[in-house]
Amino acid sequence: MLESHVIQTKGFKNVGDGFQVAVRCPYYRGIWASLLEGAEVTVDGETFGSDSVRWTLGGRTFTAPELAESTDARWPFEEPATLTVEKPGGLEPGLHEIEVAITWRWSYIPVEMQPTTNISNRKLVLVR
Amino acid sequence: MTFGVSLYSYGGDFLVTMTLEDCLADVADMGATGVEILADTHIPGYPNPSAAWVDEWHGLLARYGLTPTCYSSWLDTRLRKDRTLTVDEAVPILVRDLELAHRLGFTIVRPKLGVVSLDLIPDPVWREAVERVLPKAEQTGIRIAPEIHAPTPLRSKIVDDYLDLARQTEHFGLLIDTGIFQNAERTGTHSDSRYIFGDPDPELAAQVAREMTKPMNEDPADLADVMPYVFHVHAKFWDMTDELTDPHIPYDAVVKALVDGGYRGSLSSEYEGPRDLYRASDMVRRQQAMLRRLVAEHAAVPAT
Repeated sequence: MLESHVIQTKGFKNVGDGFQVAVRCPYYRGIWASLLEGAEVTVDGETFGSDSVRWTLGGRTFTAPELAESTDARWPFEEPATLTVEKPGGLEPGLHEIEVAITWRWSYIPVEMQPTTNISNRKLVLVR
Repeated sequence: MTFGVSLYSYGGDFLVTMTLEDCLADVADMGATGVEILADTHIPGYPNPSAAWVDEWHGLLARYGLTPTCYSSWLDTRLRKDRTLTVDEAVPILVRDLELAHRLGFTIVRPKLGVVSLDLIPDPVWREAVERVLPKAEQTGIRIAPEIHAPTPLRSKIVDDYLDLARQTEHFGLLIDTGIFQNAERTGTHSDSRYIFGDPDPELAAQVAREMTKPMNEDPADLADVMPYVFHVHAKFWDMTDELTDPHIPYDAVVKALVDGGYRGSLSSEYEGPRDLYRASDMVRRQQAMLRRLVAEHAAVPAT
């Protein structure tokens, strides 16, 4: 099951040289990974651009350019993506203000109105 | 005419407060018999669900006495960033969805087509791609129906182009989204997060935003022109009153037009109002109660 919010409570943690945050697809359906144009993550006012965010979908990890080139990878509706953000030392344990901006293409909206970016904000607790 | 529900209606609750089985149980509980799904949303592991899941799906349909109606899919013509899909690329996508829809027991497939203009002209690849999959549609007994959705009018080149093919094969027709009959203003959004649509100049952005919510005021009586080709109906709604009326869509006239036109498909509730948890079940029941009342008032032969 999923949480209502795009940004999920579960999955927010430090890993290696950075941290991870899990996000469910903000759209009302799952999408092919090649439709994704990237994600920007902001923590307590510090923004990490699409280049420093890697995506894990269905156990496979992609950079934003790799998503664009993928042919069979999907972001399933039922499965949050894990975003791994490069940040040496990771984040301090405690409450953080998180913003995630996810950008992807809709085919049935006029091209003048594309791509679509969904922006979600949430306070999340990092335990470790 | 039969009563059905699109599981799109449970958008906020699906996989949060309700499993797929909970949704199907809810549809059955309100007496509806038809179920519509969004392929990319409701099929875990789409487009390759496990055999176990497919068995489970059929088991759930049997348990709740439901009939699959429309399988809503997408033809993502902008799958690649650098260019749109070719016909050769579109065909296997349609074939894949026709086959999966058939495996799951559906008889109608709605491919949401990519567009090439501000007034939503579909990507011209649709025509040849659909023609090339017609043998597959015949083989699987599936009828393909693109959706006529606001802001596309009933009397338009888009509809005329679809009808041109619909007159040549029984496996291609129309899905009518009743949002085109909206005749009262509505406000608000159904999302708890913010969207930015491209980087258009503010005037264009405001114009498009307006186009997406303003009443189109299409006349339900005009359905008479297209009824022989209408395979499926999305009974769109954003809200229902305590008097069990729809504040935005003139359903009395819509149902009358469908009954008069001899519609034999499913009236598939499509709730698109606020996504507050636990709201959809109540809203869909309100609409189903209204639809049953109106069909009974207008129909010589009662619906099931």
